[in-house]
Amino acid sequence: MAKNLSGDLQVASANRLADGVVVWLDDAGEWTTRLERAAISRDRRSGEILLRRAEAEAFAVIDPFLVAVAEDDDGMIEPLSLRERIRASGLTFDAIAADAVRYA
Amino acid sequence: MPDAHFYRYDDYDRTLVGERVEQFRDQVRRRLAGELTEEQFKPLRLHNGLYLQLHAYMLRIAIPYGTLSSRQLRKLADISRKYDRGYGHFTTRQNLQLNWIRLEDAPDALAALAEVDMHALQTSGNCIRNVTADHFAGAAADEIEDPRIWAEIVRQWSTLHPEFTYLPRKFKIAITGSPNDRAAVRVHDIGLRLWRNDEGEVGFEVIVGGGLGRTPMIGKTLRAFLPRNELLAYLEATLRVYNRYGRRDNLYKARIKILVHEVGVERMRADVEAEYAGTRDGLLGLSSETIEAIAHQFAPPDLPSRPAVVGAVEALKLGDRDFALWLKSNVASHRASGYAIVTASLKPAGAPPGDASAVQMEGVADIADTYSQGELRVSHEQNLILPHVAVEDLPAVYAALGRLGFAEANVGKITDIIACPGLDYCALANARSIPVAQRISSHFASLARQHDIGDLKIKISGCINACGHHHVGHIGILGVDRNGVELYQISLGGDVDFGRTALGTIIGPAVTADKVVEAVDAVVATYLDVRNDGERFVDTYRRIGAQPFKERLYETV
Repeated sequence: MAKNLSGDLQVASANRLADGVVVWLDDAGEWTTRLERAAISRDRRSGEILLRRAEAEAFAVIDPFLVAVAEDDDGMIEPLSLRERIRASGLTFDAIAADAVRYA
Repeated sequence: MPDAHFYRYDDYDRTLVGERVEQFRDQVRRRLAGELTEEQFKPLRLHNGLYLQLHAYMLRIAIPYGTLSSRQLRKLADISRKYDRGYGHFTTRQNLQLNWIRLEDAPDALAALAEVDMHALQTSGNCIRNVTADHFAGAAADEIEDPRIWAEIVRQWSTLHPEFTYLPRKFKIAITGSPNDRAAVRVHDIGLRLWRNDEGEVGFEVIVGGGLGRTPMIGKTLRAFLPRNELLAYLEATLRVYNRYGRRDNLYKARIKILVHEVGVERMRADVEAEYAGTRDGLLGLSSETIEAIAHQFAPPDLPSRPAVVGAVEALKLGDRDFALWLKSNVASHRASGYAIVTASLKPAGAPPGDASAVQMEGVADIADTYSQGELRVSHEQNLILPHVAVEDLPAVYAALGRLGFAEANVGKITDIIACPGLDYCALANARSIPVAQRISSHFASLARQHDIGDLKIKISGCINACGHHHVGHIGILGVDRNGVELYQISLGGDVDFGRTALGTIIGPAVTADKVVEAVDAVVATYLDVRNDGERFVDTYRRIGAQPFKERLYETV
């Protein structure tokens, strides 16, 4: 994973209003559940613009904000903070299955 | 089976809860239609127990004073299956959290709750929260009086109390009716301890200003003995003083514990008594008829006579070591001869503490119907209690719980870990709790080893808000975030049981996540090396102090 030493690589995220699901804003101005489709801002100024776009598209989401990410050579992005990595990829343990009776 | 032995909603309760559900349904509709902003809607959803967490909405359902009927538990299972992902998390405040609720489904979930006399009111916000009580209430051999009678009276008084809906900060009340406090009353905003004075009268010790969180404090006695019928008037006076003088300028100094700390308990007492002079003869005096009417609903079940010593139980105890251990750790004395209180451990080795699937909830409800008068309790230690089990039914209950994965003989042992949801779910957390608990639990899974170690309580919080009660863990673990890295502070010597309330002391620098198990192992090994016969971990710690534990821990990690 490439470094993001400046902290300038950012994506816009929010939780979807109807169900709280984590979403990111894509290049078309749509909210997507797929981080790899998120629009990336590459400097501070474009970050501000991305956030304004996200806020303008906030009818169906809650409180958009910017997330610092890193990008590798293949263009894959990953949030820098553990909190945002967990938001992006879900629980870090196996939640109990709905029909679970035994763990063993 | 009917909810025979505790409070049932009357028309007033039913109307109030029903109206709130419909009101919220309209609020959700308006939010989804864009007629309400999130800023406008957020306090409304929080008033109905609906939080937004990392991945989804979370519905926190109040389980009043931790008491559930089998019918209610089945409904919780049904709601979790229909509106969530088929499991729930029992919390350290005797509530149930569903972690994947959709906003548009929340009104239907609340309507379903109302069908069984339940709701999610006052599980959030700066109000008087769901009142908690001893999880052995109504069954414990050492009980002076059933605390749920008083918890229900407080619930009725505090529900939508107009004067106390916007307090400086949230307000938590716990009640115990036993001299052996199991409700952690000294670490609540107000703790109430029922006791009998020299004249044989039963009244309350009123304890104020306890709490955990950022600034942990042990509560102080505000009134040594309060006649029972004066409870509401005295609480009203105390809340008024807090509402008047509690700090609203600083979120971190807004709890009543800070007020008591800043003005001193003597001044607090004087102010409350002055206020009380004006409230004691008002409408809040409790008539004996009112008390009796509530108490009647908590009348003990009519338990048929059953043998206190059962040959088959004794034989199984000799032949099945795990059953014998289970009897020692998970079965407590009942006030009726021939009966016992069984704790179903929601802490199987390696499992998320306090989680239960819909199938497991239904299974426990079935066991409650067959063997425990249809009654259950939820403990603040995140287990389920079967309060009225005949001794001769213990093998059958053990087997039935075993089929559900809830017969681990570990209650009070090192794997009976309290853990908050942590950073996997919680928007406030700084670090994960559940995976840490799972690793410790897996490491110490051997029952023989756990019972050799003896009573040892580990409590884990993912942030300083301390929902995992780490301050009062014999071993407390607090997750912190240092420059994006999860670290865990270890504290030792906390306690909350049986009136021996103490706050733990941080032993040294925080350790990384991959070293937590080794750190706990080092602490336990130190204890095993130096303990006296029969000495609990926390008593050894008090005897020898932190240094031996500290030396071994930091040599290891």
